[in-house]
Amino acid sequence: MADDDSFLHLARPLNPATIASQPSTAPLTVTIQPQALFSILDHASRKPQDQDRVIGTLLGVRSEDGTEVEVRNCYAVPHTETTEQVEVDMDYQKHMLQLHLRANPKEILVGWYATSSELNTFSALIQNFYSQQGDGTWPHPAVHLTLSTVPGKDIESRTYISAPIGVTPERAADSCLFIPVPHEIKYGEAEKSGLEMIAGAKDREDRSQMLQVDVESLERAIEQVLELLNRVSNYVNEVLDEEAEPSSALGQFLMNTLSLAPKVEPADVERDFNNHVQDVLLVSYLANTIRTQIDLSNRLATAALTMGGEGAPSTAGTGDGQKSNQNQRRTAGRGQNRSGDQ
Amino acid sequence: MAAVLPADAPVRQVQLSALVVMRLIKHSTQIFPTPATGCLVGMEQPKTATLEITNSFPFPASNPDNTASVTTSNPMDPYHQADQLALALAAPRAKGSVSYQNEMIKYLREVNVDAQGVGWYVSCSMGNFVNAAFVENQVFYQRATGEQSCVLVFDVGRSSQGSLNLKAYRLSKSFMEAHKEGKFTSESIQKSSLRYQDILIELPLKIHNSHLLTSYLHQLPNIPTTTDSLTLPTTIAEIHRNPSLASNPLTPNLDNLDLSIDPFLEKTLDQLLESIESHQTEQNNAQYYQRSLAREQAKVKTWKEKRASENVLRVQQKQTPLPEDEWTKLFKLPTEPSRLEAMLVGRQVEQYARQIDGFAGTVTGKMFGVRGGLVPGEGL
Repeated sequence: MADDDSFLHLARPLNPATIASQPSTAPLTVTIQPQALFSILDHASRKPQDQDRVIGTLLGVRSEDGTEVEVRNCYAVPHTETTEQVEVDMDYQKHMLQLHLRANPKEILVGWYATSSELNTFSALIQNFYSQQGDGTWPHPAVHLTLSTVPGKDIESRTYISAPIGVTPERAADSCLFIPVPHEIKYGEAEKSGLEMIAGAKDREDRSQMLQVDVESLERAIEQVLELLNRVSNYVNEVLDEEAEPSSALGQFLMNTLSLAPKVEPADVERDFNNHVQDVLLVSYLANTIRTQIDLSNRLATAALTMGGEGAPSTAGTGDGQKSNQNQRRTAGRGQNRSGDQ
Repeated sequence: MAAVLPADAPVRQVQLSALVVMRLIKHSTQIFPTPATGCLVGMEQPKTATLEITNSFPFPASNPDNTASVTTSNPMDPYHQADQLALALAAPRAKGSVSYQNEMIKYLREVNVDAQGVGWYVSCSMGNFVNAAFVENQVFYQRATGEQSCVLVFDVGRSSQGSLNLKAYRLSKSFMEAHKEGKFTSESIQKSSLRYQDILIELPLKIHNSHLLTSYLHQLPNIPTTTDSLTLPTTIAEIHRNPSLASNPLTPNLDNLDLSIDPFLEKTLDQLLESIESHQTEQNNAQYYQRSLAREQAKVKTWKEKRASENVLRVQQKQTPLPEDEWTKLFKLPTEPSRLEAMLVGRQVEQYARQIDGFAGTVTGKMFGVRGGLVPGEGL
């Protein structure tokens, strides 16, 4: 990630003619959801050979006053770029936006992305297109996200908003002042489990990971905790042997953490433990009993009907008429003698 | 046990890209508790018998905000569903969704995304996905795309407890054939000896990352420190504020060490009760059918006897005997209700039972661990 500790907060350039609303000049903060980022990375890995970068549209939600933008989704837009000109497929972009809005009406157009970190005239052109009235994000500024995907180097992500700049009005269309704005990638609670699985694949040769059963992931979590505990106890031992530098803050933090262990009577613990174990085992037994019961009743139901049904003893006597009855007669010799109670 | 995949099946494994996992999670958690449905695209690798899934997108009808623009609101549509939940579940096979899917795939093809639909996904909570709509959707997909489709089931409730719970299923061949015939009466079930365990086949799942994503994951936690010595924090507040410690997304996820027994048991038992109720309804239907069948047959019998005695009389009086099989036109025997629902209930209960068993395994381990830690002097 680009060095993101410090940002120069410039006042956000205001669009002309926003008279009615009270626009704030505080710059935008952008949060990106990880699945949008993964989607961009996926798209970058599919780019056609002859192009340096690929672009696409960002969808998301914007806060009431427009100062916080959350990028939730994105899709790719085909475009071609030569040294003299750039072509973006406008119809595609409009149509895809419609399709996405049908699925998720809350996620609106908030900007666009590109997979190389350079900003040139073409970027300015596209940025102006996205910020325009009508189809664009006017009166809010369009967010531009660049993700550098040079193999071998770190992947850097940067976000910008723009302001018009130019010496002459003719050049205003393809000139833009890009102002960097701070952004962060927020990982929600629900995605943690998915991320863990995905990250598990990163250390392996073939970059893949089988999905694990609960017991295996429990084992993994316990191993990780044990490793953490080992490291901490090694550090503490070294401090005691005066081989490492002590830190009172760390010591206090550790003491606070360890004192979280509850102090309970052994008898209480035993009793609660027994209760819970019994609950779990009972429910497990119950579920399996229900399963067997239903299985049995299903089998008896199909078997019982071959005998003519226990509720219809008279049908066993009639010899003509239903074909099925004749079939049942033939198969009655199978020895299923129970006119079982369902 | 779930039916075993036959050794010559063209698809033996499912491989997911990380993108699909993240999109699934996001969509499902966003509209929880409504089930989330959507389409999967990817391709098949015949050499390794793997189905690769590379992207996904949600169906519009499954979004609860979309009631105004829902395309299946036409009552003449054969898939018209009145209730929102049923609508969401039926989304994968609704006409509107199919056209949406075709359009999306067409557009995605232009940006080099794999343009082949390979199945659909659905989200559920605590394992309650086995119902008639699920089966119908999967039949629809398997008929349309043959061997290459599967369904991904994402369990929102259990994933929030720690480990990701995502499974891939297909319908077994025997079930597909039985469904093609369209009836699930006792005779057809007996003939095909179809048991509820045979309905679904589970496929092993694997997550596969691209190189770009792997390099991104490696740089995520921290750029390794350039300094050799470790600067120790001076206050506790500094520890809490340090961003590389506080919010690292790839720290080991220790949620599954949480010990929460009762909510899981309660929810599963609630769902078990619902299943038992539907089983009971099915049984009542079956018994009602049998009783009415018996009544009709008794009526037929008496009519036949009457007819036979009449014929004897007529023969005596040298008149032509009346036909004896007119009873087929006079009496209508009731049709047997389909046993599909009963089989699905059985499969669903098996799913719950398996869930509980898995849960019992992990939770007893955790409880013994906790007891060992709290009770002094025990096996430390």
